[in-house]
Amino acid sequence: MSNTTSDDSLITTEVQADSNDDRAAPAAGTAVAARDLDVFYGDEQAIDDVTMEIPEKRVTALIGPSGCGKSTFLRCINRMNDMIEICRVEGDVEFGGKNVYDGDVDPVALRRKIGMVFQKPNPFPKSIRDNVAYGLKIQGFDGDVDARVEESLKGAALWDEVKDQLDSSGLELSGGQQQRLCIARAIAPDPEVILMDEPTSALDPVAASKIEDLIDDLAEEYTVIIVTHNMQQAARISDRTAVFLTGGELVEYDDTAKIFEDPEEQRVEDYITGKFG
Amino acid sequence: MPRENYQARLDELGADVVAMGETVCDRLDDAIEAAVSGDEELARSVIETDHEVNETYLALEDECTELLALQQPVAGDLRLVTASFKIITDLERVADLATNVAAYGGPEGGVHDAVDVRALGDGAREMVADAVAAYAARDPDACRQIAASDDAFDDRCREASEAVVRELLEADRARNAARDGPEPTDGEALEASLDEVSQALLAVRDLERIADHAVNVAARTLYMIENDDELIY
Repeated sequence: MSNTTSDDSLITTEVQADSNDDRAAPAAGTAVAARDLDVFYGDEQAIDDVTMEIPEKRVTALIGPSGCGKSTFLRCINRMNDMIEICRVEGDVEFGGKNVYDGDVDPVALRRKIGMVFQKPNPFPKSIRDNVAYGLKIQGFDGDVDARVEESLKGAALWDEVKDQLDSSGLELSGGQQQRLCIARAIAPDPEVILMDEPTSALDPVAASKIEDLIDDLAEEYTVIIVTHNMQQAARISDRTAVFLTGGELVEYDDTAKIFEDPEEQRVEDYITGKFG
Repeated sequence: MPRENYQARLDELGADVVAMGETVCDRLDDAIEAAVSGDEELARSVIETDHEVNETYLALEDECTELLALQQPVAGDLRLVTASFKIITDLERVADLATNVAAYGGPEGGVHDAVDVRALGDGAREMVADAVAAYAARDPDACRQIAASDDAFDDRCREASEAVVRELLEADRARNAARDGPEPTDGEALEASLDEVSQALLAVRDLERIADHAVNVAARTLYMIENDDELIY
């Protein structure tokens, strides 16, 4: 996609990245990199010294027991945690050659480049067309909105089902269709990364399988980072898997096949085989 | 520990595979004894009870399929189930080959003298027993030793086969030398000799295959333990 009015090369609105920054640059093909990342909710540490590089245009799954910090990590990537008053972030999350927590980064601009899909489908009480066009209007998109809506709905594998009812409310769609509508809304502003926080947990198996197929397709254009409690889903759809365990520790991060066939860490083996967690 | 029922089923699968292996070794013992002694009743017993091994195989195959379908094992658990799935096939084939070996004894007793069925049979049986023990003990070194011993066993089988053929040729030569004048070849004697030789060669081939199945069990066991497929290929 193209023709957005915002500056595609920057995540900041006004200030350029510091050319004297001595941080190690992410490896080629890395979409997002966390460096020595700690996150606290008040005195409680939710992420403990996490360093990892997430490859571009791949699906990376974050798994782990409840409370392990995987969703916190996901939300750090596009600064959704900013909305939590007691949340404190230390370390770097690099995206586009810049730490997204630098003072000159505009979170709204950041979230245009790093979209998000939530656990429960949350379409706006607007028409299908307006749901998809919403982000475009916010960013002042001056191109062909209808064309972009169609492109986004096709990208979310929803166009054929809704093309004759674009003016109907998004809330009239089924749960699975609503989630795909949210994905269309997320990809409409032409992001580079899509964060997904348990995107199929509220869906029936058929709707969930359509989302899984869609995720596979999305990874051709976008970097997909997904939190899931469903380990079989992580095994099915992801290229890389990160296993977080209690205390926000990233215990193992490797190719998904390696994690599910022969993990290095006994704790990971115990977790994925159900012996603990 | 969570998933206790699942863990118990995995433990039981492992124990059942070992028990199947021990049963197959017992059948192989009987088959070798029948082949050496010509004990027809023992041979019949090996052949007629083979269905029990088949039934065990099918039950364990069902259990592996159900564990895969319903429990979706991963990592070490997945390797246990998939390795066991393959190993029971090898053990079932060993039991089938044991019925062949038992039948080679025949009513007149014993395989061709040139083949030491007892020694070769015990060698093959020991490899199977060692492979089952390696599976039970999760012993990667034992797996590699079993695989390494296969070449030596193949050599023994080849030497036994050559000895049989050599005896056939020498016997034929002796018959020709004993004939005085242009008398016709003793067709019946030759036929009997060929039958005996072919049966001996088949016995050797079956024992060699039993050893090959033992190596397969060791290879799958090593994969199960260490995710190492070096012996599979």
